Formats: sequence, C-alpha cells, structure tokens
Amino acid sequence: MSLLTVEGLKISTDGRALVSDLSFAVGAGERMGLIGESGSGKSLTAMAITGLLPRNISARGSITLDGQQVIGAPERNLGQLRGSATAVIFQEPLTALDPLTRLGRQIEEPLRRRYRRDGLDPKTVKHEVLALMERVALPQPERIAAAYPYEVSGGQRQRVAIAMALACRPKLLIADEPTTALDVTTQAEILKLLDSLVRDLGMALLFISHDLPVVANVVDRLTVLRNGKAVEQGPVRDVLGAPKNPYTKTLVEAARAFDQALGRTP
Amino acid sequence: MILSVDHVSFSYTRDRQVLDDVSLTVQRDRNLGIVGESGSGKTTLLRLLLGLNRPTSGTIRFGEQALDTSDRGFMRAYRRSVQAVFQDPYSSLDPRQNVFGIIAEPLQSLDIAVPHREAVEAALVSVGLPPDAMNRYPHEFSGGQRQRIAIARAIVARPELILADEAVSALDLSTRIRIVELLKTLGLKMTLVLVSHDLGVVASLCQDIVILERGRIVESGKTRQILDNPQHPYTRKLIDSAPRMPA
Amino acid sequence: MSAIAAAPVRRSRRSWLFAIGLILVGINVAVALLTLVWLPYDPSSTAGGRLEAPSLLHWAGTDRLGRDLFTQIMIGSRIALMVGAGAVAIGAAIGVTLGVLSAFATRLLDDAFAAAFDILIAFPTLLLAMLVVAASDTASLGSAILALGIAISAIVARLTRILAKRVIGMDYITAARTSGTSWPQIVIKHVLPNIWPTLLVNFALQFGLAVIAEASLSYLGLGAPPPNASWGRLLQEAQGTVYTAPFGAIAPGLALLILVIGINLSADGLRDIGDPTRRGSR
Ligand SMILES: Nc1ncnc2c1ncn2[C@@H]1O[C@H](COP(=O)(O)OP(=O)(O)OP(=O)(O)O)[C@@H](O)[C@H]1O
Ligand SMILES: Nc1ncnc2c1ncn2[C@@H]1O[C@H](COP(=O)(O)OP(=O)(O)OP(=O)(O)O)[C@@H](O)[C@H]1O
Ligand SMILES: [Mg+2]
Ligand SMILES: [Mg+2]
Repeated sequence: MSLLTVEGLKISTDGRALVSDLSFAVGAGERMGLIGESGSGKSLTAMAITGLLPRNISARGSITLDGQQVIGAPERNLGQLRGSATAVIFQEPLTALDPLTRLGRQIEEPLRRRYRRDGLDPKTVKHEVLALMERVALPQPERIAAAYPYEVSGGQRQRVAIAMALACRPKLLIADEPTTALDVTTQAEILKLLDSLVRDLGMALLFISHDLPVVANVVDRLTVLRNGKAVEQGPVRDVLGAPKNPYTKTLVEAARAFDQALGRTP
Repeated sequence: MILSVDHVSFSYTRDRQVLDDVSLTVQRDRNLGIVGESGSGKTTLLRLLLGLNRPTSGTIRFGEQALDTSDRGFMRAYRRSVQAVFQDPYSSLDPRQNVFGIIAEPLQSLDIAVPHREAVEAALVSVGLPPDAMNRYPHEFSGGQRQRIAIARAIVARPELILADEAVSALDLSTRIRIVELLKTLGLKMTLVLVSHDLGVVASLCQDIVILERGRIVESGKTRQILDNPQHPYTRKLIDSAPRMPA
Repeated sequence: MSAIAAAPVRRSRRSWLFAIGLILVGINVAVALLTLVWLPYDPSSTAGGRLEAPSLLHWAGTDRLGRDLFTQIMIGSRIALMVGAGAVAIGAAIGVTLGVLSAFATRLLDDAFAAAFDILIAFPTLLLAMLVVAASDTASLGSAILALGIAISAIVARLTRILAKRVIGMDYITAARTSGTSWPQIVIKHVLPNIWPTLLVNFALQFGLAVIAEASLSYLGLGAPPPNASWGRLLQEAQGTVYTAPFGAIAPGLALLILVIGINLSADGLRDIGDPTRRGSR
C-alpha cells in the first residue's frame, strides 16, 4: 500500500471548488512532482494532506497517510502524523518561523522531538543542528543559529525552514516551492541535497513547484494541476517528452523557449 | 541618471561587512538587474536605496540630491517617486487589511489625488487579478497571487522608480511572462531595479546588470554583453547553474 | 471512505458561545444600571430576620444583620463592572502605550522598559494598593481601581511589547514605511489591529482577576467602603457563617462567576469577529 493515497480530493470554500476530484499516490521512497500555475491549488493540496487547511476551507474525499485517514481526523491524531509521517517545507519561510526565537533553537525543536521518539542521546542535538545547517549550504552556521529570522536573508530563512523539515526525518517530505527564494547556485545545491537525502534516507518526496525545469530534475513522476484539476499524470519522461494535454504542451514549450532565450539549447 | 550609489559600505553588526564599496548608477529608462547568490547583500542594498538603513560610508544620490532620511520634505517626495516590492509575499501583506486597503495605502499616505477605487481596480487588473479581489483578505490568495498584489501596490501610485526584490520568483512561467510584459510596458514610464536570481527574467527585462558576490560588485555593464561573455568565474557559475529542461 | 466537513459545526458553536457571553454581560450591565434608579430594599437597613434562607421575599436570603442580600448583590454588580472596566481601562491605556513605545524604542531603551515591566509585575498588587491609598490619603473605590489598573498596566505592557515586536519585524510594516505611512499611522493601521485580538482576550482575563483582587483589597479595608459593598466583601463577610448559611457565600460567588464567564466568552467572540482568517464565510 502506498505511503500517501489521495482519492477524489475536493477542496472548497463557500461552495466555490478550489480543487476537484484529485487523485494520486506516492509510495515509500517515491518522488512525485505537483506542478501548475499560480493559484491552481498546489499549496491547498499540501495543506489538506497535513490537515492544516484554514478554517473557512473544507476538504472532502479521502487522504490516507501512513495508513491513517487524514480528512476528518481529530487534531490529536494529526499532530502525531506531522513530524513522524510527514513534514512540510512551507512556501512562506517567514511565517513558518517564530520571529522572536533564535533560528538555532527553531531547528533544535523538531530535532529533540525526533531524538525523544527514537530514543537517541539528546547531548548530540546541538552538534546535529550545526551539521544540518551545513547540509543546507548555510554559510557561517554559528552566526545564523544565533540570529533571529529577520536578521538573515530571504534565502537563508528558506534554508532554515528546509533544515527544520529535514530534522524530522519524515517518511514523506512535502516541499512547497522550496527553492523559489534561492539564487540558482544555491538552488542547485539544495536540489542536490534533497535528491541525495531522499535516496539515502528512503524518504518519499512530494515536490511542489511552478518551475518545470526544477521539478523535472528532481522527481520521477509528475501531476499537472490546472484550476484545481489534474490534467495530466505520468512519468516525467512521458509527460515532458510527449505531453498529451494541450495545457501541458504549452507549459513544456514555454519552458523550452525560455531556455533558448537564455542562449542555451537543452 | 535617477539614482547613484557612490562607494557605499554597510554592516548590520560591527564585525561583519555586508556591503563593501558598492558603486552603481541607475539611468532613467534603463532597467537594472541585480543578481547574486543568497546572502550576497541584494536585499540589503535595496534597503539602503529605500532609506530604511543608512550606509556606514558612502552616499546615495537621487537625481542631484543626497538621500537624507532625516529630511522629511525630501523623503516625502522620494517616497512618491520610489516604490518597492518585497521578497516575501506572505509577510509583506498585512493580514488584517483587505486587498483594497493594502493597494490603496500609498495613495492614502502620500495624498495622491486620483480616485482610489478606480486606481486600485486598474492596478489589480493589470497584474491579472479580478477587481473583486479588492474585498478579500491576503490569506485567501496563493503565493503567486499575493506577489501580484504586492506588485499592484508598488505600481498604483505610478512612481518613477520601482525597486523589486524577487518580484516574479513565486510566479509560474505563464504568469511570469504576463507580469514581465506588464513590467516592460510600465518600464516605458517607470524605471525598474530588479533583484532576481532568474537570469532569464533579468535578460528579458534589464538593459544593465550588476553581479554581486559577498557584498562586492564583481561585474557590471550591459546585460547582453555580460551574459554572452561573462568575465568573472562567479558569473559563469551563475549562468551554468540555471536549471534547464531535461532532454 | 469518509467524507466529513467538520468546520461549519465548530463555527456555529462559537457564535452560540459569543451570544451567551453577550447575554451574561448584558444582564450584569442592566442590573447595574437598574441599581441607580431602583432597589428592592434599602441596602443599609434591616429588611428581615438574620441569615434567612432564600425565599420569595428575599431571593438570596439575608445577611448577619438581616439586610437583603439580593439588593447587595445588585449593587455589587455595579461595583464589579466599575472595578473591572476601570482597572482594565487604566491598565490598557498605560500598558498599550508603554508597550508600543518600548517595542519601537532603540535596543537600550527597550531593555530598560522590559526590566521595568518585570519589576512592576513582581511587585505585589496589595503593596501597590497600599501605596496608592497612602498617597491619596483615603481608602476609596477610586484608589482601589487605580492600584489595580497600575498593576494590570505592567502585565499589558509586557504582552503588548512582545506582540508589537513580532508585528514590527514583518515586511508589511516596511512596506507601509516605503508607502509613506507615518509611524503613528503605522501603529494605528497595522500594529494595533494585528495585536488587539490577543490583547482583548488578556483584558478579559485581567477583568476577572481585578474583580477578584478587589475582594482582598476590601478585606483589608482598601476597597469600596460599606454600605456599597462589593461581591468580594460579601464573600468575606459570609466566610464565618458558610456552614450555617451557605447561600451568603454561594450567591455572590455565583454572580462573580457569571460575570467573569460572560466577559471571557464575549472577548473570544470579539476576537474571532476581528480576525479575517477566523471569520467563516464572507
Ligand atoms: N483561505 C482561502 N480562502 C479562499 N480562497 C483561497 C484560500 N486559500 C487559497 N485560496 C484560493 O485557492 C486557489 C488555490 O490556492 P493555492 O494556494 O493552492 O495555489 P497554488 O497552486 O499554491 O499557487 P501559487 O503557485 O501561486 O502558490 C487560489 O485561487 C486561491 O485564491
Ligand atoms: N538585520 C540583520 N542583521 C544582521 N545581519 C543581517 C541582517 N539582515 C541580513 N543580514 C545578513 O546580511 C547578509 C546579506 O543579506 P541580504 O538579505 O541582503 O541577502 P540577499 O542577497 O538578499 O539574499 P537572498 O537572495 O537570500 O534574499 C546575509 O548574510 C544576512 O545573514
Ligand atoms: Mg502555493
Ligand atoms: Mg533577499
């Protein structure tokens, strides 16, 4: 059975459907990309999977995560799922961080939780925090660990958020536009890191992005969302090589044209 | 010349220089792209240009006048001429204000005599959002939609200069192209200083470019020339690491 | 496969609680206003036997001197509202102002403010009240309210400072600055709206605590002087006879409970109304 199964997911507010009839599955260690234009419902889907939808939005259908039904589950059960079964790198790094807590502490927290869960020696936590920060390519980890969120750059904040999610070592990592605030060189490093982590630790990855070339290089399979509906699903090679849906076709063509505009040929 | 930065250095704390002897000029009607890796000081530079922080040394000039944050009269005129789009579309919109309040804020605060409702509506439409978005609150919008609201706020008062920090990075390609087109048409009347990690966007929008590495400008000049023939190894690395479509 | 949408149920329960809260506070206010023009009995003279149990004539029974308890509880509600509202108003006015100033101040000044708030919070309210009374040379309801207000202001200031600092770090404050919005306007338009929901809930808590604290003040003779006794004083007076005439303690206690619950429910409801992310459908 898959780690995550989404079946007939419908997300709506005030009778307005934001996501409709979405189904997909992610197996253990598998990597799935969710791609679509701005406002197509990618982030809402991620929030529904973790049971974090805002109050005015309701979800129907079925989402099973690690064998548990998420939709309609009480907050207590969801809290247990978060962190162990899944962790999210949210699109908004600043709102995910507490502005009045030093960044090192914020990474420490999920780490301590995992150490307790796995019965590890909490003495090594401090060391591991710095190691994690180095892994996400943060320069001068000591300084940044001691800084508050508004004292570091946007990309550094985003990498702290990534480190926090990695600290949980979840079975499924959901990454919602994890690299949008990053310059291309750092982005390349983070993508490599995600790639190797997922491989080494056997994590599954749900990678959300609007950036086709970024997603295409990280995942095995793609789901293309448009206006809350999946218009195409399949292995990356097939979707990019021979897109069936006209919308996917324009996406692929636009991305290739953009590559060429930069004077590069694929 | 709209803006000139003359040997500016800056540090937040005594022990670490964030900007080191930066000089550049922004010409009227020539957009400037600022590119550099995460943490290289791009946002900091914009903050200095906005008068939010004062350089530790060096001067910034707006036209003929030095940027002096204590001169209220000057700052008022300056705020009318220069608007900004911030990097994080989530924290740059007040969650308690509706979209109309957010976009109309520069009009209200700077006493700009245009019908506010019409101006806000026009700004919303130009960034590809429906006019009825006005009555909703930021949390009801996706990341890319919020960034467009922030862009609408920056353009509503029709400033001469827009300083945009990663203004299009949260947008998908088709929306990005649309916004880039919009910024281009605006560019005819407004000059744009664009911080971006996306060389494609910079290439299509900015005639001039500066490359920033750890607080220093390592290369600057005409965008086309630099992209075609990068001199500095860091620039080459930037160009090479752009993600591309798999074959 | 389950298909459950839990949100609407929660929402309607919340609005019910808000309505109950408003009704409870409303009853209190109505009774307090009524005491200004009409009372069932004269509060300072004997109206029946001593320590009578509740009856049709005396709904809450009578006290040690045979005075009607219900009359005294009605008057008490006026005093409770005055103490609670007065102390919270003073506390909010001073506390929010200082807290916001501190949040905007330079680091050095801010640290000084923070230390001052902590010292003031550690200072016993009773001692503070004695000082205020000593300074105003007569014990009156006013001096009790003032003392409680000052004690509350320190707590409110500390909370406001933390909340405001959190907001000030956000980019929307920077955006407001570059839009030409002045600092006072930023406070009014952006800072206060983003912190008041939390403050409001705290105010409700402080309201309840102030009404209770006034009880101990009047016990020491620092509160409202008789015959306009507060609920706190009624409670203290009933202490000695709590086994023979329990209703003397139960009645004012119940009144206090009703008011405090009402205030807290109303504050929760108001907070939800003010928060666009909590408000249900548009
Ligand atoms: N709380 C809400 N109330 C009402 N509508 C909402 C809410 N949150 C999101 N929406 C709407 O739902 C749609 C999907 O939003 P979502 O955040 O999932 O988009 P997205 O695919 O992540 O886009 P982006 O790439 O811009 O982040 C959008 O049209 C948005 O306006
Ligand atoms: N308020 C602050 N106090 C101390 N250091 C800061 C502060 N803000 C930023 N820094 C540091 O200054 C450096 C430059 O930050 P800046 O935000 O200008 O980078 P940036 O080029 O915009 O990066 P990004 O692309 O990640 O947004 C970073 O190393 C950052 O940690
Ligand atoms: Mg999103
Ligand atoms: Mg930045």
